[in-house]
Amino acid sequence: MNKNWRWLPAGIVPVVIVAAAVSGSAVADAQPQLPAKTAQELLEFVATSSDDAYSGTVEQSSDLGLPDIGMATPPGGTSSSDPTSMALELLTGDHTAQVYVDGPDKARVQVLDQLAQRDVVVNDTDAWYYDSQSNEATHAVLPDKDAAKAELEAKLQQKAAEYPELQNVPRTPAELTQTFLARIDPSTEVAVDGTSRVAGRSAYQLLLTPEDPATLIGSIAVSVDAETGVPLSVTVQAKGQDDPAFTAGFSAVDFSTPDAGIFDFTPPAGATVTEAPTADEARATLEAEGTPAEAPEKPTVIGEDWSTIVELPATSAGQLGLNLGDGEAAGMGEIMEIKPGMDPEEVAGAQALLQQALTEVDGGKALQTSLVSVLVTDDGRILAGAVGVDVLVAAAQQ
Amino acid sequence: MLSEVTVLFRRLCTWAMIGALALIPILIAVVVRVSSDGSASGRGPAFLNSITENGLFVSLTALTVAIPLFLPLTIGVVAGDTIAGEANLGTLRYLLVAPAGRIRLLLVKYAGAALFCFVATLTVVITGAIIGALLFPVGPVTLLSGDTVGVGGYFGRLLLLALYVTVSLMGLSAIGLFISTLTTIPVGAMAATAALAAVAQILGALPQLEWLHPWLFTNYWLGFADFLRQPIVWSSFIDNAVLQAGYIAVFGTLAYGRFSTKDILS
Amino acid sequence: MSGGTLAIETLGLTKVFGKQKAVNGVDLAVPRGSVFGFLGPNGSGKTTTIRMLLGLAAASSGEIRLLDGAMPKDARSVLPRVGALVEGPAIYPFLSGRANLQRFDAADRHTSPATRNARVDAALERVGLSHAAKKRAHAYSLGMKQRLGIANALLAPRDLLILDEPTNGLDPQGTREVRSLIRSLSDDGTTIFVSSHLLAEVEQMCDRIAVMSAGQLVAQGTLDELRSAGTARVRVATPDFADAHRVLSGLGLTPEPHGRDDVITAELSVPGLLPETVNAALVRADVRVRGFEASGASLEDRFVALTGEGFDVAG
Repeated sequence: MNKNWRWLPAGIVPVVIVAAAVSGSAVADAQPQLPAKTAQELLEFVATSSDDAYSGTVEQSSDLGLPDIGMATPPGGTSSSDPTSMALELLTGDHTAQVYVDGPDKARVQVLDQLAQRDVVVNDTDAWYYDSQSNEATHAVLPDKDAAKAELEAKLQQKAAEYPELQNVPRTPAELTQTFLARIDPSTEVAVDGTSRVAGRSAYQLLLTPEDPATLIGSIAVSVDAETGVPLSVTVQAKGQDDPAFTAGFSAVDFSTPDAGIFDFTPPAGATVTEAPTADEARATLEAEGTPAEAPEKPTVIGEDWSTIVELPATSAGQLGLNLGDGEAAGMGEIMEIKPGMDPEEVAGAQALLQQALTEVDGGKALQTSLVSVLVTDDGRILAGAVGVDVLVAAAQQ
Repeated sequence: MLSEVTVLFRRLCTWAMIGALALIPILIAVVVRVSSDGSASGRGPAFLNSITENGLFVSLTALTVAIPLFLPLTIGVVAGDTIAGEANLGTLRYLLVAPAGRIRLLLVKYAGAALFCFVATLTVVITGAIIGALLFPVGPVTLLSGDTVGVGGYFGRLLLLALYVTVSLMGLSAIGLFISTLTTIPVGAMAATAALAAVAQILGALPQLEWLHPWLFTNYWLGFADFLRQPIVWSSFIDNAVLQAGYIAVFGTLAYGRFSTKDILS
Repeated sequence: MSGGTLAIETLGLTKVFGKQKAVNGVDLAVPRGSVFGFLGPNGSGKTTTIRMLLGLAAASSGEIRLLDGAMPKDARSVLPRVGALVEGPAIYPFLSGRANLQRFDAADRHTSPATRNARVDAALERVGLSHAAKKRAHAYSLGMKQRLGIANALLAPRDLLILDEPTNGLDPQGTREVRSLIRSLSDDGTTIFVSSHLLAEVEQMCDRIAVMSAGQLVAQGTLDELRSAGTARVRVATPDFADAHRVLSGLGLTPEPHGRDDVITAELSVPGLLPETVNAALVRADVRVRGFEASGASLEDRFVALTGEGFDVAG
């Protein structure tokens, strides 16, 4: 009898922990009371926030209804520094990043991988990209902003003199948002959808709902910090899916100016540094080479707004090395870069997964995710858009 | 407490485990040294490639290797032995009759296991640094963020890192302590504890069980890399500490419930 | 030595393992200053009782008072005054004998670390282990381990010693030493509670005895009380069976045939009737007595009668 009370703590502690976990998320879910704002006011508020300084942790996750390609990549993320595959990897996987922002000109984003890290540093004069896994750094010198601004200003003045109607170009945040709202209004419903708490802060919830029935995107919700106007989280909801297809948001945020040293970067000894050409250099190279003899065919854009479809011409499939004949590596090149150092078994595994994801449709093969569909036609064209596969197929046949 | 520490560290078994842990960085360093042709690349734990450039990375590589398997194994042995070992020897009854007090005995035993975690981690880190310094050049260390810190700052971080790993193993130690109160067969408790560590890591590797991952005591085991970022990311340290504290609370109270009501019949 | 007159007192002490009652309603009363023998065959519940006395096992029901404190509630204040050897010694084989004792001494918060070494050495000296103090305990013989276990019970001045089978594994010399040790401790005023399955041992050391059988306490008292509780018998070997029967009956006894027609036995059930009186009466009646034996109330008979089984000398 009096013996059993000794088990009491063992019974109470888990209950307390669960209660704490539940009430913790309940507090996070509680809707704070904030003064009402219209969608336009809120957008203006966001536009004024670009000068703010803050730092925080961003958590991103996506559930596109695809087999987990990340599983097939080497632990610690891809070792690829190819921008396309990296961008894809960053978008599709789950990531945590540290973000430091000081006004519009200084920023550092650190994508935290397990036992590795990728850094993007932007300060007044330089931009750096560094990948700890490959120990490679890319450096770009930024154009002198003040000079560029002055130049732009002068050009605008000049043009304004020539074309008086350009005086109407929106310049203030209020004007900008008005233009923005006017432009998206017919296809999208923009509304303030209550309030929420993000990273322990009160936030307004801005909800964009496409009115286009063809698109796969159900809604996009943006949480805007009630105090500063900084967007704190973005959630993209796919139609017919309960869980968000894509979320990115602060799990912790601090609105004090980050230490200035964070925005300085010197590549470590032994790192491979690639210099990216400046805008002027790039222009010079282009001019020196002259116009390419054969300009590559440009992608075609079909449709508009939410159901926009991008069509890559037939040659592009060949350029990307897609071989639909054997069907094995179809689309591989886009999603995963096969490197000589990679384990053939892993590559094969990823291919098998991709093969599973690809479905045979009328006139080609399609990859359907909850947000985006891709169609590779038999004649080698690639069509992609935030629409259903059937829409892509229809577009391909036109 | 002092007596507990003396007993723990006078055992041959304890020293054998510490020796085995010290062997990990030594083996890694020697193998890399011998086989190094300057282009070590391909598969292998993170940091392995950096060893040839900077010997101080031996510690990190060794820790990465030791955390999933060797450290949990040794902690399983020590934590599983805490109560079951005394019960098996029969010395438990004399400690209680002395009287040591059951709660006090549990606390002391747990503190002993915690100390072992720290010593074990530190062994890997320090042996790694020494052997690395002997076989490879040593210089300022490049962090994951691409920033560079001097050797002094690096050792400060290594110490923090050892602390992090120790904290990471606290939950497992608490589980081991609880299992140890269930039996009088220490080997069983050791095996069960080490097996749980393996199971938790396997569950942690299954993407289908993602909802479970934040609750696994192994979830932040490899998060020690956050001390190699500039600025140091403390969130995983805090998350880890909270998680481990939860495990300590749950299994600590379970161990208390079990041990304080247990009939000592061995 | 303060408080009540009993060092150990239990009321209705019961321990149930599953469905089996290992200890069933035991009421022990061990007076202070006594050397108390706790007798019983193996498996009669002695060790379980001792475990409950020391708070190692929880009683299913019943009360325990040890040195005027309730167990296990007051264990912290009571146990430092109790030295114990429970179910044989236990040692850390990888430590020396000395380090073993230091470890156990350190487990008790109340002992002073300053005097620890001196007390450990004194305890080792007392059990004659000084020469082997620095040897690793795994090299100890069974007897040496037993001595180390006793030394552990003597680390601090104790009011009560609970010794479970203290002479187990000891050679005759060692047994004698333990016996004299117990006597000298008792002379210092320590209450000693010795459990044993060996009647002879208890008879030599103890002034009070309790007997356990199948979980129950079947007898308790001083040696003399227990002896007198048994009745003496006379055994007469005679060719004149019928005459002898008549004489014995005439004395008020109930003669019983002994399976043979020339031996007759009878309990001396008449108060004050001495065996020599019986013999004289037989001779006076011209009964030819070939043999006459008066068996005193031996404790052994008594215990066999109480426990229903012989004592297993081999252990």
